[in-house]
Amino acid sequence: MTDDLEHLYQSTYTAVVRFLYRKVWDAERAEDLAQEVFVRALSHRPEKPRAWVFAVAANLARDEARAAMRRKRHLTLLKGDPIAQPTLTPAADDTVEHDEQMAQVQEALSTLTVRDREILLLWDAGLSYPEIAARTGLAVGAVGTTLARARRRLVDAHDRQQTRTGTDAAHS
Amino acid sequence: MRHIPEDELHAYLDQGLSRTQCVEIESHLADCPSCQALRDGIAALRDRTTALLARLAPPPSVPPAFEVLRKRAAEAASLRRRRLHLLAWAASVVLAVGLGWGASSLVRSGPRGQLAARAVFTPATPVHAAASRPSPDSSESPRGTTVAAAPAPAAAAPPPRAARVRTIASSPTDSSRAARRAAALSVLNPSPAVELTQLDSPAARGDIELDGMWRTMSWDGAKAAAGERLPHIDGLPVMRVQVQSNEQGARPVMVVAQRLASGQVIRTIEGPATDVTQLLSRGPMSDVDSLFLPGGAKRAADPAGHAMAMQVGDRMLAITGDLPSDSLRAMIRRLNAEMRSK
Repeated sequence: MTDDLEHLYQSTYTAVVRFLYRKVWDAERAEDLAQEVFVRALSHRPEKPRAWVFAVAANLARDEARAAMRRKRHLTLLKGDPIAQPTLTPAADDTVEHDEQMAQVQEALSTLTVRDREILLLWDAGLSYPEIAARTGLAVGAVGTTLARARRRLVDAHDRQQTRTGTDAAHS
Repeated sequence: MRHIPEDELHAYLDQGLSRTQCVEIESHLADCPSCQALRDGIAALRDRTTALLARLAPPPSVPPAFEVLRKRAAEAASLRRRRLHLLAWAASVVLAVGLGWGASSLVRSGPRGQLAARAVFTPATPVHAAASRPSPDSSESPRGTTVAAAPAPAAAAPPPRAARVRTIASSPTDSSRAARRAAALSVLNPSPAVELTQLDSPAARGDIELDGMWRTMSWDGAKAAAGERLPHIDGLPVMRVQVQSNEQGARPVMVVAQRLASGQVIRTIEGPATDVTQLLSRGPMSDVDSLFLPGGAKRAADPAGHAMAMQVGDRMLAITGDLPSDSLRAMIRRLNAEMRSK
């Protein structure tokens, strides 16, 4: 039992962190939450631990997003306060480039519907069709359809962005 | 011949299809160049998506050892147990208060026939219930007889009040169940070899008058200073923490005032036995010798405003409050067991 969980931890921790990171956009927070997920799994002993882990991760991320929203609302009252921005410290060129690339994908991803995005991220985190279906309430047959749409949209949105920045660069 | 729809190809490449479906698709693909092209396009799209998403990754990190998480899970479990425990504490306080009330009103009803007047003002008393539904013990003990006979004047008292009292009076079965539960509690926490003293303390009635030697502390500050020795009852709001400044660097006397749900204030006091005794003896017309009467001797004289003290070595733990002695006794036993277990 415990060995199973430990094995799951070794094999999926990174995927869970990545999954969470794409929701909270804070590496440290994503790691904290991922650890919390496994701590809970240890006391919960879920029957299907893999699907469970991602379900709990998604819930934690959602709670986190709500809390962040509340904080933000609160902070707007205190204008002028330096609101914590995702760490954009002066860095080497390759880091800047990496950040830019990341921002582009992030933006492309945000053009997807919530459901499409969720399913794409679950797939990318390594969940199987039946696992995704169980998690989202979708029929197994519909997972492929959703993924087909989500992939197409993501790539299209990213391509559109590339052409836009390309023309921007040409103008300047 | 039917071509393969795009989403099926996604599912096929994602290994989301059954064995039979796969065989079907593969046999079609073998003879259909246009579906092959579509498949290759989808495979490329898949790879691009994966590559794009790969950019959305946090910097690589070293996951903590699984043992660390296991420890955290164990800690979380013990925290949950502690919370449950806290709930049990709160419940036992409520129980003790209720029980003490019932018990003390029975005692109070005693020989002087003050019952009628008192019963009207006491919110929950089994006395009326005992009268309307004779309990087995009321016929056995002489005190019980008084109890059963006494309510007559109360019934004759102005109806609205008497009626209200009756509706909230607990039944004899309730109170005996509570008694059994309380007995079980004290078995769970066998009282250690210490002196248990009941005293009528003037300090219990009002705010303890503390002179300049005392300072009021924040809860956190007191907690930091006294650690687990800070006397208090988990689960009740803390109103005030007072600490006696003492020069010798020994643990000082601490007084924690907390409010019960009913609004009453109880104080838990911990400190060197002599200091606590002195503190409790403050007030008009009190001298230390008269404080330590054997339990029950003074109880009938003034049921409210008790203090209960328990001496452990040279330290003394006390609870004061406008509560029946039974409640205080139950609480101090519990508190003592708590503080010793820490």
